[in-house]
Amino acid sequence: MKQQILRLPAEKLFEEELNALIKAETEPVPQGWRMSPRSVKTYICGGKVGKTKITPKYIGHERLVEIAISTLVTDRALLLIGEPGTAKSWLSEHLAAAINGNSGQVIQGTAGTTEEQIRYSWNYAMLIANGPSEQAMLKSPVFTAMETGTLARVEEISRCASEVQDTLISLLSEKRISVPELAIEVPAKKGFSIIATANTRDKGVNEMSAALKRRFNIVVLPAPETLEEEMDIVKTRVAQLSENLDLNAALPKDAVIEKICTIFRELRQGETLDKKQKVKAPGGVLSSAEAISLLCNSMALSGSFGNGEISDEDIAAGLQGAIVKDDDKDSLAWKEYLENIMKKRGSSWSGLYKACRELNE
Amino acid sequence: MSGVNFFGIRHLSPAGAFYLEKFLDSVRPELVLIEAPSDFSDTADDIVRAETKPPFAVLAYTDHAPVRTILYPFAEYSPEYRAILWCRKNKVEFRFMDLPSDVFLALYEKRIAEEEAAESDNDDDEEIIDENAGEERSISVYDRLDELSDEGHDTFWERTLEHCADFESYNEGANLFGANIREFSEKTGRDLEEIQLREIYMRSCIRSAVGNGVAPEEIVVVTGAYHVEGLKTWENEENAPELPRTGSLHTLMPYSYYRLSTRSGYGAGNRAPAYYELIWESYRRGDRQFTANAYLSKIAEKQRKSGNAASSAQIIEAVRLANSLAEMRGGKLGNVPSLRDLRDAAETCLGEGSFAAISVAAADTEIGTKIGALPEGVSRTSIQDDFYRLLKDLKLEKYRSVTAQDLRLDLRENLRAKGEKSAFLDLNRSFFLHKLRVLGITFAEPRISDQDNATWSESWVICWTPESEIQLVESALRGDTVELAASFAIKETVENSANMSEVAAAVEDAFLCGMPSAASYAVSSLQAMAVDAASFEELAKTAFRLSSIIAYGDIRKADSAPLFPILQQIYYRACLILPGSCVCDDNASQSISEAMNLLNSVELAQGFLETESWLNALKEVAHRDDLNTRLSGFAAAVLLERNHMTNDELKIEVSRRLSKGVPADLGAGWFEGLTLKNRYGLIARLSLWESLDEYIQSLDDEEFKRALVFLRRAFADFTSSEKDSIAENLGEIWGLNGAEVSEAVNAVLDSASQEQIAALDDFDFDI
Repeated sequence: MKQQILRLPAEKLFEEELNALIKAETEPVPQGWRMSPRSVKTYICGGKVGKTKITPKYIGHERLVEIAISTLVTDRALLLIGEPGTAKSWLSEHLAAAINGNSGQVIQGTAGTTEEQIRYSWNYAMLIANGPSEQAMLKSPVFTAMETGTLARVEEISRCASEVQDTLISLLSEKRISVPELAIEVPAKKGFSIIATANTRDKGVNEMSAALKRRFNIVVLPAPETLEEEMDIVKTRVAQLSENLDLNAALPKDAVIEKICTIFRELRQGETLDKKQKVKAPGGVLSSAEAISLLCNSMALSGSFGNGEISDEDIAAGLQGAIVKDDDKDSLAWKEYLENIMKKRGSSWSGLYKACRELNE
Repeated sequence: MSGVNFFGIRHLSPAGAFYLEKFLDSVRPELVLIEAPSDFSDTADDIVRAETKPPFAVLAYTDHAPVRTILYPFAEYSPEYRAILWCRKNKVEFRFMDLPSDVFLALYEKRIAEEEAAESDNDDDEEIIDENAGEERSISVYDRLDELSDEGHDTFWERTLEHCADFESYNEGANLFGANIREFSEKTGRDLEEIQLREIYMRSCIRSAVGNGVAPEEIVVVTGAYHVEGLKTWENEENAPELPRTGSLHTLMPYSYYRLSTRSGYGAGNRAPAYYELIWESYRRGDRQFTANAYLSKIAEKQRKSGNAASSAQIIEAVRLANSLAEMRGGKLGNVPSLRDLRDAAETCLGEGSFAAISVAAADTEIGTKIGALPEGVSRTSIQDDFYRLLKDLKLEKYRSVTAQDLRLDLRENLRAKGEKSAFLDLNRSFFLHKLRVLGITFAEPRISDQDNATWSESWVICWTPESEIQLVESALRGDTVELAASFAIKETVENSANMSEVAAAVEDAFLCGMPSAASYAVSSLQAMAVDAASFEELAKTAFRLSSIIAYGDIRKADSAPLFPILQQIYYRACLILPGSCVCDDNASQSISEAMNLLNSVELAQGFLETESWLNALKEVAHRDDLNTRLSGFAAAVLLERNHMTNDELKIEVSRRLSKGVPADLGAGWFEGLTLKNRYGLIARLSLWESLDEYIQSLDDEEFKRALVFLRRAFADFTSSEKDSIAENLGEIWGLNGAEVSEAVNAVLDSASQEQIAALDDFDFDI
């Protein structure tokens, strides 16, 4: 039976793997956790448990995953920082899924997030009718996590206004939440922690205060180190996504993925992969995540309007959209790249070159 | 069971050092055999002195050139060092049992010779055998370890053995480690041969000790874990092969942690000497958590000192994170954080996720700036003694540190100082530092002076490194004192010099070092060379160098009188060969005109030189038609500048050089030479421009094109204000308004003219 939901939470999607890991557990499990730190790492970085193969969820930089997990063992809060598309939320979701079997306790940070959404708010009808009571209280994910001794996730914390961010400061240092209206204080159970993610490069983010940063262990997630690593990531994710989305198209060939990753890496780093030529970098962020969505997009294009095989035209359309965001400057940079680099790459690139050129006239 | 107690170590290992002491305490042997060159026994007395502060090293070097050296560094936590100290304290006899250092050096020389025969581009003249040679080269084993443990073999060793909680697990682990490496090593025949030689020698040492009546169980052998298996068969009698020998000496020298850390890359845990000292400290305190706490607190302290925030709470969090990382990694092996865990924890908690933020503090904490010290007069070579005596004498001792420091010298007499010694302190310092420079000792580097006129000031950057100590010891072959060695070095340079300016440089060095005798030696050799010297440029350069020595000689209290005759001789010879040298093409004329300039300034600076010869030479060059015209022009320019050519003479010369019929390129070349010097003087002479005008008027179209190419080149680097002045001149000649002409001269070319000129690029001069 095909599932009706666009995207299942991690703990559902990988239920089998999680169960296998829990079953095979031999090492001590920290309080409030479902498995040992080492199993969490296996779940995220891949491996084998008994007969079940564990697919890698985060590729490259295993040490960073170790640091992240160890941080959560020490009941410290974890802050994942990185450029857009470096799998911050992805990692945070899977950490929560593996540790608690519940990645759903999320606050999605926006400029409109209020303090109540982080602490608690009220069912006003009940509040007015009966006065403050625990039944009238609407608990935030953080509140619930404290009560149950589990993980809460705060996505895009740097998008919240500074005063809202600051709510977390005392929550994290005192590990209890006070409800003055009811004259009670709820202490956090063992196992409670917060995983936050923050963006360093986007526009429209608020600088985090030093006080708040101090309360987090900070792990910076870098862009993939090598072309091969990035290709690996893109390939795995495109395959997973296309299965979910019924795209009616063949998976992109390795050569196509290599081209996309090469273009993205070169434009991101401002030089060609062999470091021989400088390239003007466009203003936008060209992350692996965008490469993934570009490929899915191209698959959708070819599935719906083409012959089911990704053509150079499909990719060109995607590239144009991904790279040229700030019209004039980006368009120039992209044109320069096409003429100076891609044109000279020989016959295997010429189809893509022509298609891109037509679109970027 | 052989009965002999073996203790396998890894050099520079705190755990090894600690458990070795425990082991010795429990065995209480009669004799301890230590893996170190057997001829080093004479250094033992100095090693155990209280004033000897590790890190230090024993340096063995050949007593003949080229000097080859090998180094045996010791740190506070070297098991060998601890063993020596323990024996002294407990009045137990100990012996060094490895091959004598001269055998190592001989083997090393042999290897170099072989390598040179194989590939002649190897000029590495220094070797470190502070680690088992076998371990060092069997890289494949460590590569394999890196692969298997995914953390690198250093971390693997540290995790598995460096934090062992008890003696048994350390001993078992180290021996297993050594045996495994032995098994896996795929060595080249050469290394295997050396290891075999060493083990045969060590086995015979054990045998002879037993033969001398020490019971086997009363002997403790301290050796690299690698060799334990090899030495267990000591009882079997075997023939000692003949050992190669070479003349060698050895000495103790101070060492530095920095140098220890740069010599990693194999199994020795010395990439972070200061950190390993923390581990040692934690063993001494019996507090296994001490290393982590101290490491992270030190980083935090350094962060604070450099103005960053680092709270105790952050340190606590970092310690907790490191512990939990260690737990994840270490498992059953133990849960003391290794350096990698600590560094990652510091990065996460103190550096906000970026290593760059803590990199300086981490380097300080892991490597450190510690340098060792030896008591005065200890087993140093006499040149080392002299060096340290001079440092003290010249009050330079505080500069003996691994951090580079600036030293500014004022070479003038300090009139307020009391004695002569202190009045000329800076001058003497300068002599001393220059001597070191001549010897190639990198203790002090001269800094290019920013005020080039301040002849009385010098600027140096001083930094002590073990390298400079080694270079010093290497200089021991050249003389017993710094002065003797430097003068020997200068003589050597002079003897090996191929041309005069090299010798002149040696003369200059001798003066900078304040060594008159070396200077006079170099001068006499210069004289011999000057007779045969054929190149004008070489002579001019040499003359210029000598002239500057004479000019600044006073400030260095040097007697420059011996230089006068030689300068005179060179100068005169240069004057004589100048006209002959001017037969050359335009490329060579460039360097000759520069040399002419130099010689001209020498003549102007030194009053005792005979002016007439120079002027005559110049006049000849200026007037002759068969020389390079550019140089003729330049000679004329010099004469003009020195007022030895009148306006009329110039006018005649211009019309002769630029007259119709003379090929345009020659004429323009002459003019270019003329403009190389003192342009304002030229611009001011109206007659020159009149002649030039006449010349140009006289050319037909084809000739004009020719001349244009060269004249354009001659005027290319005139500034626009200079062009203005020329325009004014021309305006006067043509009876025009100067401003209008100036506008025309400075105007950007229109495209039509551009094209015309571009067409000239292809102009064929041979027509």
